[in-house]
Amino acid sequence: MSEPALRVENLCKEFAVKKKGGLFKRLFGRFGNGDEDSNSDRKSFVAVNKVSFDIEKGEIFGLLGPNGAGKTTTIKMISTLLRPTSGSVNVHGVNVSVDPQRVLQMIGTVLAGERCVYWKLTGRENLEYFGALYGQRGPELKQRIDYLLDRFQLSKRADETVEKYSTGMKRRIVLARALLHNPRLLILDEPTAGLDPQAALNLRDLILELKGEGKTVLLTTHYMEEADILSDRVAIIDHGEIISLNTPEQLKRDLKQTKVVSLDVLEWKDQFGDALCAAGLVSNYTAQHDTANRRWRLTMHLADGVSVGAMMAAYLEQGNSVQSLAVNEPSLEDVFIHLTGKSLRD
Amino acid sequence: MSSVITVFPAVWAVARREFKMFFRYPSWFISLIIWPSLFPIGYIFVCKALAGPNGESLSTYASYSGTTDYISYILIGTFMWMWLNVMLWGFGQALRTEQIRGTLESNWLAPLQKWFLLLGSSVYDMLRWMMFMVIAGIEFYFIFGFRVQGSLWLMLLVVLLSIPSIYGVGMVFASLVLWAKQANTPVNVVRGVMMVFTGMTYPIAVLPQWMQAVSRYLPLTHSIEAARAVAAGSGLKAISGNVEYLLISGVILFILGFAGFGRTERIISQHGSLGHH
Repeated sequence: MSEPALRVENLCKEFAVKKKGGLFKRLFGRFGNGDEDSNSDRKSFVAVNKVSFDIEKGEIFGLLGPNGAGKTTTIKMISTLLRPTSGSVNVHGVNVSVDPQRVLQMIGTVLAGERCVYWKLTGRENLEYFGALYGQRGPELKQRIDYLLDRFQLSKRADETVEKYSTGMKRRIVLARALLHNPRLLILDEPTAGLDPQAALNLRDLILELKGEGKTVLLTTHYMEEADILSDRVAIIDHGEIISLNTPEQLKRDLKQTKVVSLDVLEWKDQFGDALCAAGLVSNYTAQHDTANRRWRLTMHLADGVSVGAMMAAYLEQGNSVQSLAVNEPSLEDVFIHLTGKSLRD
Repeated sequence: MSSVITVFPAVWAVARREFKMFFRYPSWFISLIIWPSLFPIGYIFVCKALAGPNGESLSTYASYSGTTDYISYILIGTFMWMWLNVMLWGFGQALRTEQIRGTLESNWLAPLQKWFLLLGSSVYDMLRWMMFMVIAGIEFYFIFGFRVQGSLWLMLLVVLLSIPSIYGVGMVFASLVLWAKQANTPVNVVRGVMMVFTGMTYPIAVLPQWMQAVSRYLPLTHSIEAARAVAAGSGLKAISGNVEYLLISGVILFILGFAGFGRTERIISQHGSLGHH
């Protein structure tokens, strides 16, 4: 069996969190308040906890989770920017901690945001510069740059400084930079964050084209539609741990036995939902206020074996009214709610 | 392991990148044309005032400095100090600028040893300083009749011998930037101390004994002293003591700076604070 493009095994990252205080407080506070335990100022925070997964060659693998779930920390450890506390990362069989330079030649990383290139240089100059850092030069580099500028529809504006580019163009030049050395594994951290819908759609098409060319892609996102559309497999990560990993279809199919009901109501208090949970009728729920329509949008995941009628009867018994009701096909968002009890937007 | 020869195009790319951005800000000519001549001119006028209308006090000046040509004495001192100052802080400044631009992590993702990136920025600093010096030399040629009498090759040797110790200390400042992010205060303190102790504009013989003792330990003192001697026409033999000190301190400081930078790089990759500013 061939070795995977990326193998992550029991990856952990723990950060020491120092208590903030002024210099005087740190120097004298201990003596002043009788607290002599210097360890009381130090706490640790586990950002990534025993994360393991393999990505096969040519696969798009999505790491889906809310902000602060540990996606970027995981990506930074894979990209050699961050040293793991424990565990290992192998890119095409090369250990990141043992030979980081060789790993960097095999991966192209796009970190979140578009400030990964020089705004005061033109798009072409940026690619020439980063190409040189990857040891490329001469006609071969020029040819590669022309190809990428053309491919990402940047040729006409290639000799303008990046500061004059739109956000979508900046994101495309950053992606072109990551592809300069034709990496085998592409790592994309929130590639469409902050883009307008059309620019995000174009970028997603580009990512799918790259997959078509045989590139392996690891992408992080907190947009469930993006993970659903792009990924062959999705790992749902929360509080630094992978809580589920499968194809998007399988994740949703697993949830299909659970009914997902959407309700629009005028009045809402969390105690209504809590009562339904306590009665064993609902396993999870989220409530979001729609300010424009002055109503609440509820998503309820019914407990196993509970019918919509039984849940509604209990809900109406509390003296509530309902504006509309729909029984939905589950989305990845519903999978996330089902697994964590909260929305990705929370 | 990437060697200097295989990564030279990358080092040169860093320098070229900085030059392109430098010339894209329209105020570049102020720093290039005006500053090199403006900086030493105040010291020259102070000396002129102290020398008296017909240079009556210059003999006292000569007893300390060995020359009555105070203009060349000050110019060589300030030229060297400006260069050493730029190079000392150059590494740290380059990292700090990248942190603020947000491009440090994308550079760190390149498959080469990170100090080559610093080397590239120092090539830019060096070339920019040479531009400054040529312009300042031309300006002072016409304003004060400034002439270099000594060997330019020997002057180049002094500059080259000063590099290892400057790079060593520069690496320490770069490590400080990686670790503490904002390193302006310690840098300014060191800058001030160097300015006073190295005899940038005056002979160190006028300093109190204990300050002279301290200044003898600073490589910068030896660089300035050797450059002045060469500019006045002295040969290699006359500066052999300075050369020896620059060689020894260069090896020690370069090794210490290099080791410190490597260690700091490992620490920040554990903390994950590379991109923070």
